[in-house]
Amino acid sequence: MARVITITSGKGGVGKTTTTANLGTALAMQGAKVAVIDADIGLRNLDVVMGLENRIVYDLVDVVEGRARLRQALIKDKRLPELCLMPAAQTRDKDAVSPQQMIELTNQLRQEFDFVLIDSPAGIEGGFRNAIAGADEVVIVTTPEVSAVRDADRIVGLVEAAEKGPPHLIVNRIKPRLVSRGEMLSVEDVLELLAINLIGIVPDDEAIVTSTNRGEAVVYDQGSLAGRAFLNVARRLGGEDVPFMAITDQQGVLEWLFGMIGRRRS
Amino acid sequence: MSDLISIKGGREGLRLRLDDTADWQVLIEALKQQITQNSGFFAGARLTLEIGDRAINDAQMSTLLDLIQHHGVQIEALGATARESRSAARASGVVARPLPRYAEPTGPVQASESDGMLVTRTVRSGQVLRHHGHITLIGDVNPGGELIAGGSVVVWGRLRGLVHAGALGNVEAVVCALELRPTQLRIAEQITRAPEGAGKLGPETARIEDGQIVVEPWEGPKRG
Repeated sequence: MARVITITSGKGGVGKTTTTANLGTALAMQGAKVAVIDADIGLRNLDVVMGLENRIVYDLVDVVEGRARLRQALIKDKRLPELCLMPAAQTRDKDAVSPQQMIELTNQLRQEFDFVLIDSPAGIEGGFRNAIAGADEVVIVTTPEVSAVRDADRIVGLVEAAEKGPPHLIVNRIKPRLVSRGEMLSVEDVLELLAINLIGIVPDDEAIVTSTNRGEAVVYDQGSLAGRAFLNVARRLGGEDVPFMAITDQQGVLEWLFGMIGRRRS
Repeated sequence: MSDLISIKGGREGLRLRLDDTADWQVLIEALKQQITQNSGFFAGARLTLEIGDRAINDAQMSTLLDLIQHHGVQIEALGATARESRSAARASGVVARPLPRYAEPTGPVQASESDGMLVTRTVRSGQVLRHHGHITLIGDVNPGGELIAGGSVVVWGRLRGLVHAGALGNVEAVVCALELRPTQLRIAEQITRAPEGAGKLGPETARIEDGQIVVEPWEGPKRG
């Protein structure tokens, strides 16, 4: 039975597209057949992050409007034959698609894939409504910032109103050093407010920048903390019980200690 | 509230019931006054208008709509017994519903302010609980969420959003919460903010004393 999962956040720039690309890749690495859909029509990114931009011939709007068949618009990943991308149209906007059309599209994809991941646009308007229309489950990505958490809270309310069941939560870009100094919201702070099921904690990692610019998923990078975190999220989505990585920062602890000593002296 | 207008609440939302015998101009003036005076309660509300047996034409319907929408209120539907009124509503793009004849005379709203609403959930950012009577919430109000009540508000949980008690002008209304940390607290016409920084934790209650909002730790019901 296929699962359609929408990745959304409310606020922009918290890592929806990176999360979609990496979860899609990780699930495919585990042997699942995965389609990732870019629902950010007019501002497409997922193809760039996955390094597939130069292979686009048809897009989601072409399929919805009948100019292309589903198969024609699905782009195979560079490395993983079981991973496909449905790119967004760049020259249109969110109004080009209706929620009903998204439901029909996801229902077609259900027949051929184990997972359909939908990368939602930021915001709570039509684009977001399209992105969740066909979803069985919703994953909300937030960063440990007050503004992002506030928007995530708004999204939780909308997802509940749309009767998609309780959403899952990924806290992205945690900086352990700042958390240990009490200068950043901790995962516990975020959970206390949102009170939904935590499915991933992803540390802030420079490897994301390099991998994104190369158009490669960070989950291929064995040494990357963020890559390992996304692999764990994919395993949890598959139903495995994976403990959360201890996100500690040795250097940070030392600095914190020295900081305390310094403060005592002054 | 004037005798010509009353607010009813229920699961299906707010209903504004207008007297159906008074002179039209007098009624419109009374309505204007009510909404202007209680803008804190009405702004952003969606409600059903009930006009009873009164027959109104297209021009009267649009007067009514203009007045209400001007104050940021959306009309969900119009309830009327007269067919003429319902077709006037439909002509203005408003859903019209037949209405049983008013059983009881429209009374002043103070009588219905004792109506309570019990809700068990989290009020999240962007969500609003609005009720003409008292609100009891079992759950949290997150920042960005709003509670607006004609009567008092009791939150069995953390109150961190905006709360407006006595939004129809009742200065006797109180706000109680297990953790009272609202972004803004309003009672009737008074507005206050929670002090900066974490204060004492524990149940607290807010009320108006000598024209000012006073917040005190909960120590049982006040006597006298």
